[in-house]
Amino acid sequence: MADVQTGFFRRQWQQDGPLGLIARLILGVIFIYASMDKIAHPAAFAKDVYNYQILPEVLINLTALALPWLELILGIFLLVGLFREGTAWMVTLLLIVFFGAMVFNLARGLDIHCGCFNTSAQGTDNSPMEWYVLRDGLFLIPACYLFYRTFWEKVGTARIITF
Amino acid sequence: METKRLRKNIWWAAWQSGAMVVLAMFIGLLVNEGRSDGLALVADWSPEVRLTTDEGNSMIVSLEEAERLCLDKKAVFLDARPPEEYARGHISCAKNVPWQGFEAYMDRVWGVIPEDAWIVTYCDGETCSLSEDLAKELIAMGYKQVKVLLNGWTRWTEAGLPVKKGDEGRQTAGIEKDRTSSHHLGATPCNIPERGNING
Repeated sequence: MADVQTGFFRRQWQQDGPLGLIARLILGVIFIYASMDKIAHPAAFAKDVYNYQILPEVLINLTALALPWLELILGIFLLVGLFREGTAWMVTLLLIVFFGAMVFNLARGLDIHCGCFNTSAQGTDNSPMEWYVLRDGLFLIPACYLFYRTFWEKVGTARIITF
Repeated sequence: METKRLRKNIWWAAWQSGAMVVLAMFIGLLVNEGRSDGLALVADWSPEVRLTTDEGNSMIVSLEEAERLCLDKKAVFLDARPPEEYARGHISCAKNVPWQGFEAYMDRVWGVIPEDAWIVTYCDGETCSLSEDLAKELIAMGYKQVKVLLNGWTRWTEAGLPVKKGDEGRQTAGIEKDRTSSHHLGATPCNIPERGNING
């Protein structure tokens, strides 16, 4: 097992532990995948941001232009293990913000009136919002673990080593 | 000791996050500058701007004009909401062409509605984008006179104009009306106007 691990992954393994490394890889792939379509279609993504009806209008296009690149950067950094504290914090924060935005709109019934979150012509799901909320909730599991691992468990380990 | 370590972690997280956000904004703006179809940094999202065609014509139809178009059968009304919402109640002369899954409903439009027909799309809610998306798709398909009745269902019912219930298959049976206005014009099913019946 150790023989097939490259030095890079062995170092990651030692730093994060097996679960931390898995969480990092899963989130990295998700974030890179999520950024691709948005980077390719900024106008359509701006429309999606607008449909959420949360941000003030002046921030919509700026968010639509920057957020996909932030997701891509986070995804790449998660995979290569760069900026461990920053990525753990930002990924968790973003997922909580997305989760909150979806729950907020679900609660105020925006999807019922306009189907804002399923603007593609292919969408035939009648209850997409619940599914998106559930999916985002699932993504939060590895994110919260990574957050805990990065900010608390390491501190605990450091204490053991120190004493 | 661990407090110091935690504080250090938080400090790292803060500057690393800041650096990534700045980098993302920088790349995003740079790439946007390089695109031929780049976005304006601050856009006007008001309905008047969103619903103006490339030729500068407004796609917004007033409630009064929509009422006249429906009652005089001068326009095809398309309800862009999902079938269940349409079945619970819709404008009396409206056909259901849900934007969600539009491709499956193309046969209700293409080859049925003449290209020069007046079309009014609507959905429900101030922020609803279904009617707008449907209208823009219809224009892209070649329809010349497509209008949007903003917040259509709510405004239509609040004004006490004719409505019907029932799904697409049963709607012409004149199943029932509720909250209809006194002139009862909604009792007549609003068929799709033939070519030549249409103004403009």
